Amino acid sequence: MSSTIDAARRRLVGLGAVTAALMALSIVGVFLVAPEDADQGVIQRIFYFHVPIALISLVAYGVACVAAIMYLRRGGEKWDEVGVVSVGLGMVFSILTVLTGSIWAKASWGTWWVWEDPRLVTYLVVILLYAAYFVLRSSAEDNRRARYSAVYAVFAFAAVPLSFYSVRVAESFVHPVVFTRSGADMPGSMLIWFFVSLVAITGLFATLLQLELLQRRADRAMRDLKNRLETLMAGT
Amino acid sequence: MSASPLRQMRALLVKDLRLELRTRETAVAMGLFALVGMMIFQFAIGTRTDDATPFAGGIIWATLALTAVLGVGRTWVPEREQRVLDALLTAPVPRLVLMLARSVALVLYLLTVQVVVVPMAIVFFVRDAAFSDLGLVAVVCVLADVAIAVVGALLASMSVFSRARELLLPVLLLPSIIPVVIAAAGATHAVLGPGNALDEYWRYCVFLGVYAVVFGLVAFATFDHVLDD
Repeated sequence: MSSTIDAARRRLVGLGAVTAALMALSIVGVFLVAPEDADQGVIQRIFYFHVPIALISLVAYGVACVAAIMYLRRGGEKWDEVGVVSVGLGMVFSILTVLTGSIWAKASWGTWWVWEDPRLVTYLVVILLYAAYFVLRSSAEDNRRARYSAVYAVFAFAAVPLSFYSVRVAESFVHPVVFTRSGADMPGSMLIWFFVSLVAITGLFATLLQLELLQRRADRAMRDLKNRLETLMAGT
Repeated sequence: MSASPLRQMRALLVKDLRLELRTRETAVAMGLFALVGMMIFQFAIGTRTDDATPFAGGIIWATLALTAVLGVGRTWVPEREQRVLDALLTAPVPRLVLMLARSVALVLYLLTVQVVVVPMAIVFFVRDAAFSDLGLVAVVCVLADVAIAVVGALLASMSVFSRARELLLPVLLLPSIIPVVIAAAGATHAVLGPGNALDEYWRYCVFLGVYAVVFGLVAFATFDHVLDD
């Protein structure tokens, strides 16, 4: 067990180093190299973090959904842990999305929040849905906790596509839509830094996920060791 | 030899409805709650304007969403109180049939309440409503009720076996049905508001239908795991 934890720790250090380098590169690129938006000025640079964070929060919920399906099909504490950690990280990224979006909205539209925009509202609904995941987890009885969490993770993830569908239903023109069916509505000099930032944020998510899972695995190993020692002591 | 799923579902549904007809606990409480809720919304919003028509859709569906929490909250409770839940779960009935019976019973409870409450709300809040508008609002009610019932049946099954289930269910259910409230209020407003916006109405109806189908499929795929003991 300790050798696998050591190997996972070495992988984590490597992943963390690559992520830190990518984060530094994206910060330099976004603030010093990428051209300034002619219409919105410096505040538009928040886009390079706001959109990747929003996308990765949805990816985190997707990972939780896949882990939930794996748990329901095969069982195993490992999948439950991947699920709960992914939802936790998804929540953190979602809250950051709303905060960065709010700052951008204040600078661009003069208000911190726009209720007329269904994408913002539906995103808030998604946050509330996943906040309820933790309430369910704390309320469920021990033998049902992982199973109910898995069912709920699948259920809540079904709400994510609805957030995109609702935009089309209500035909909002408030929220900027950069990526359309005909491609990205921005020049290549901006697009490249968007993708660097996206890869960096993806790395950040992967690093945090690995870190939390490693910590949980170490906790489990410690618990097993303690139980074995107690059994041994009781035998003597 | 066990009965066909359709007969099983009918038997469960008849059992639920007979229980409700004898006690009239759920529907009457939901109806009264809806009327009180509408009064509260009227004093919160309606008194600030001469004509509450623009707010009618919102008031009606915010009230009905909160009312639905009461109805969904009663799901499984009679079985639990009368200690027949274990017998029901050990009976040779597919879990999906249990969920379908619950969902249909919930739709019927909600429709029963809406038959009384929605016309009253139109009288209270809407100026110059045409009789034909009621038919269009009825379509919205049916679609929204199916969506709420499918989601409600699944979440109620999880909350009934959890601690603090009275607190848990609203926390789970209300965020889940916010898109339904938005779409149903939008569709109702499109019909009852100034200038019948039928294009908008049908877009919202399609959204409600898609929502019901998506969560119906999720419930279909996961319900076996909820009652897997």
